[in-house]
Amino acid sequence: MAYKKVKRMSLFMRINHWVVAICMVAAIATGLYIGHPYYQSFIADPAVDKYVMAWNRWIHFMAAIIFDVSSIVVAYLYFFSRFEKAYKKLIPNGENIKEFGDVLVNLVTLNRVKKFDSAHADSFNAVFFFIFHLMLLWMLLTGLQLYVHAFPHGESSIGAWWPAMLHLATDWTVWITGGTYMDVRISHHNTMYWIIAWVMFHIYYQIWRTIFWNEGDINIVVGGSKFVKEDEKSSERTKK
Amino acid sequence: MSDRRDALTKLFSAKGAKVDTNRGEAYYEALMKKMSARLQQLETSDLAMKSSIERALDAQGLTRRDFMKWASAACAMLMLPSQFTPLVAKAATLMNRVPVIWLELQDCAGNSEAILRSDAPTIDELILDVLSLEFNETIMAAAGHQAEEHLEEAMKTFKGKYLCVVEGAVPIGAGKEWCTIGAKGETFEEHLLRVAKDAVAVVAVGTCATFGGIPAASPNPTGAVGVQDVVRGKPIINIPACPANPANITGTILHFVLTGQIPELDHLNRPKFAFGYRIHDNCERRAHFDAGEFVEEWGDEGAKNNFCLYKMGCKGPMTFNNCSIVRYNEAVNWPIGAGHGCIGCSEPQFWDKYATERPLADSKIKAPTGGVEKSVDEFGLGLLTAAGIGIAIHAVASASAAKAESEEA
Repeated sequence: MAYKKVKRMSLFMRINHWVVAICMVAAIATGLYIGHPYYQSFIADPAVDKYVMAWNRWIHFMAAIIFDVSSIVVAYLYFFSRFEKAYKKLIPNGENIKEFGDVLVNLVTLNRVKKFDSAHADSFNAVFFFIFHLMLLWMLLTGLQLYVHAFPHGESSIGAWWPAMLHLATDWTVWITGGTYMDVRISHHNTMYWIIAWVMFHIYYQIWRTIFWNEGDINIVVGGSKFVKEDEKSSERTKK
Repeated sequence: MSDRRDALTKLFSAKGAKVDTNRGEAYYEALMKKMSARLQQLETSDLAMKSSIERALDAQGLTRRDFMKWASAACAMLMLPSQFTPLVAKAATLMNRVPVIWLELQDCAGNSEAILRSDAPTIDELILDVLSLEFNETIMAAAGHQAEEHLEEAMKTFKGKYLCVVEGAVPIGAGKEWCTIGAKGETFEEHLLRVAKDAVAVVAVGTCATFGGIPAASPNPTGAVGVQDVVRGKPIINIPACPANPANITGTILHFVLTGQIPELDHLNRPKFAFGYRIHDNCERRAHFDAGEFVEEWGDEGAKNNFCLYKMGCKGPMTFNNCSIVRYNEAVNWPIGAGHGCIGCSEPQFWDKYATERPLADSKIKAPTGGVEKSVDEFGLGLLTAAGIGIAIHAVASASAAKAESEEA
């Protein structure tokens, strides 16, 4: 059986993916500490030598801001990617809905039924990633809302426009989560768990595809390409 | 719905959250002129009450110097430059010309208690004593029809001039008929609306009056709300906290005496001079927070060393108030100074969402669906477990399906 190599992610997209992955691990590890400091600093050290909470917050904010910027890049790629413009797979037209259903059926029937072309990014994955990006956007908005309270005087190291803009862009999250700053915090914390659950499924699903589709899908995010069986590239088939 | 919309409009205005402590010389010069004119006008007006701050200070053995020290501190608290100190002092002596009607609704009278019961009254508290309290439901001698008559008279005499100070929440739900006042059995809501109608401004004192406070805590059997949810078309100033700091009450009234206007407010109608900063921003234990030095349990080594109380549930990082600067009882002490974390008493819904005495991640906060109390972490762990089990089942099933297939082939 002949295999054909298909390029799926550019070098930049792969780097972006791993930057996001590292940021997420960092943001979760430090975020959990901020929500409940789960390890202690050495009591014998004088306070001037320790900066444990401050370092955790610094890493959390740094990870968040890198995360935010990379998300803006991903949002751009939704529309202008050289490979697969993700927005095209999100439009709920007949073709996409059918593909979404077919991929879901493939997953639920444990790969017994596979009626779609797995050479390109499919609608199911596009929707799945879109949910992730919505959650990220929510983390960005709620996180920046909590962050802006550190600027009561309306000044920041980069000027007064920054806190002013953050207030304009994120103050509505207070109202929508229940009216208090604590509600924003609860929502920020809760959404983290949804993101972890998302990541768990994401990793599992990519490994599952690699094992059962036999097309080297896991290489997409490492080497940038996968392989598709030549004979089934154009034709749909049904496994028994 | 319209109040929700108002709240939204306010939220979307970035300037609502900004505290401006230096507005430039021209601004302060204009303000000085305005305030002087206002005080002159007050000086020539009739005394609303016979007692004066001079007499009250004398009785407590406090000197003019003590009074001036207080005046400069109050001036700083109101975020005014030091040249305003004489004006602040003068305003304090003219406080007996501003008529006040003090209502007591659904609460524990803790704000009145905080002012009245201290054994060494501070100047803030003395000023509230000499304030022309035309009518005060908690401490007046009159009762029944006599009290009602007194209220009518005060409202008529000072129509459109008096400040209506409200302490306590307003029940408006199914249980509102449990709370009535006076010989005519007015509900609290009717009583408040009647008095607030002719007031120049309404000052809600304490968290119950501002956001409903403890009476509005879940399950809120009386449908309690704050004054701002009931009174419409009047300037409303909220001075939350449990109890409200007398310094902030005096500051707000001083501001009114000085300018005839209410102070600059944040999006929750709290004066910015008092509620513009978080407790955390000026906390004496802040360095321990940054260092990661926390009290792990009551009475441990960290507690003895005044470590940060964050892990004991301190909500200073998310509570806006000036406790960490002004403190209570003439700056003697305050909750965090005494070794207990902040419970966020000046924030809306504080009893349900802030006063959990644990960090957010461990707080048993009621789920939005109500009924079951689950901490965020328990919920998250449950979600992760469900996802893990789902993945495991799917993986095992896939593997066995593939195996069966290869055996077939």
